[in-house]
Amino acid sequence: MGLRRIRLVLVVITLLVLQTTVFTHLRVFDAVPDLLLVAAVAMAYDSGPLAGAVFGFAGGLCIDLFLTTPLGLSALTYALTAYGVGVFQGGVIRETRTIAPVLGGVGGIVGGILFVVIGGIAGRGELFALHNIQVIVVSAVYDALVAYAIFPFVRWAARTDVGKAWPGR
Amino acid sequence: MAVYRRDTRSRFLLPVIIVSSLLLITIDSGNGSGAVASLRSTAHNIISPVQSVVNDAFQPLRDVAGGITTYGSLKQQNDNLRRQISDLRGQLRQTRGVGNELPELEKLLDLPTVQDATGIVARVTAGAPGNFERTVTIDKGSSQGLRVGYPVVTGDGLVGTITQVAGQSATVTLLDSPSLGVGVRLTTSNTEGITVSKAGARDLTIGFLSDSNVLAQKGELVLTAASANEAFPPDIVVGTVVAYAKAAQDLAPTITVAPAVNLDDLDFVKVLRFPDPTAAPRGG
Repeated sequence: MGLRRIRLVLVVITLLVLQTTVFTHLRVFDAVPDLLLVAAVAMAYDSGPLAGAVFGFAGGLCIDLFLTTPLGLSALTYALTAYGVGVFQGGVIRETRTIAPVLGGVGGIVGGILFVVIGGIAGRGELFALHNIQVIVVSAVYDALVAYAIFPFVRWAARTDVGKAWPGR
Repeated sequence: MAVYRRDTRSRFLLPVIIVSSLLLITIDSGNGSGAVASLRSTAHNIISPVQSVVNDAFQPLRDVAGGITTYGSLKQQNDNLRRQISDLRGQLRQTRGVGNELPELEKLLDLPTVQDATGIVARVTAGAPGNFERTVTIDKGSSQGLRVGYPVVTGDGLVGTITQVAGQSATVTLLDSPSLGVGVRLTTSNTEGITVSKAGARDLTIGFLSDSNVLAQKGELVLTAASANEAFPPDIVVGTVVAYAKAAQDLAPTITVAPAVNLDDLDFVKVLRFPDPTAAPRGG
């Protein structure tokens, strides 16, 4: 396993521990940030949509182990969101200082909607609730804030070791 | 050739991820899988010691924050509680006479009671890590004999039920989670129903009423129902009626219930071993 992969695994473990411990105490208006979703979006921004999708799938699968929703729901949501944001930013967005919170917030909105829609179709009808719109919006704002810290962290982890690269980049 | 192979692999990567995710969702949405439960259990076992440490670290901060935000209302709350204690003493005296007959009647009906269930005290170590669920994590698990489906209470009343168990921790789905319905009865009329919750709402409504013409009064106690094969022992306090409404065109009234337990501020809970795995089968 290359150093880059070790660093990326470290990112997943760190954010997973923070999400399941610290941030469960930092709930604001019923919402917590999706740290691994923001990390997947950061990965897509840094290394391309496919790398983001793979990272999102792995990160989502990890967080799914701690949720009561079906295993694979967050994995699918994170992967699709990261892929979508990766494709979108590749064609449109240029590097600015506000790129991290913008992509974090957009990722939060898209990820939240996908989670509710796919989860609802998968049999969790209670996810279709008006209150969840508020949760998605607050969570997206939270995601935008934490993106300031997560984007540099992922960039550090995803820097390519000499002679190696992710597929699809 | 190398470039071709990599491109082909990349092209199929996203569909593979999507199909794998959908397969996992399908497997886990069905009857559940032992492998998935085992994976979840292992993950919880790894993280639960860290959750305990973080919970300890956050406790003083929560206490300070709670003290600052509630200081103004504490005196008023204290006066109210004194009044309530006085009222309750009177009610207790009234109820004592009726209450003496209850154990005998329950014995005759062969219904399990809350006294039949032994309890395990557990500490709440974390809330839900996700945005769309109402759960807490406790620091006791299958190693202490907990099982999925065991009811969870505090001194005030019902908290919820255990929905996932790991070796040293368990996930409790709270009473006001939209995914949980509890069989309840109104104390005055004995009308039974099932609690219904909406995402974001802390109050519950009672649906599927056994008597659609029932009248309920504000302040009336709502207890868990006393039926055979219930998931909860009978007569655990669920909450009190805070609103009753029935329009002319309604088939049944809308009865709103405020949970007896403050589900946003849980420190210690008691898990009831119910039904007791060591108890002899009933009805024989």
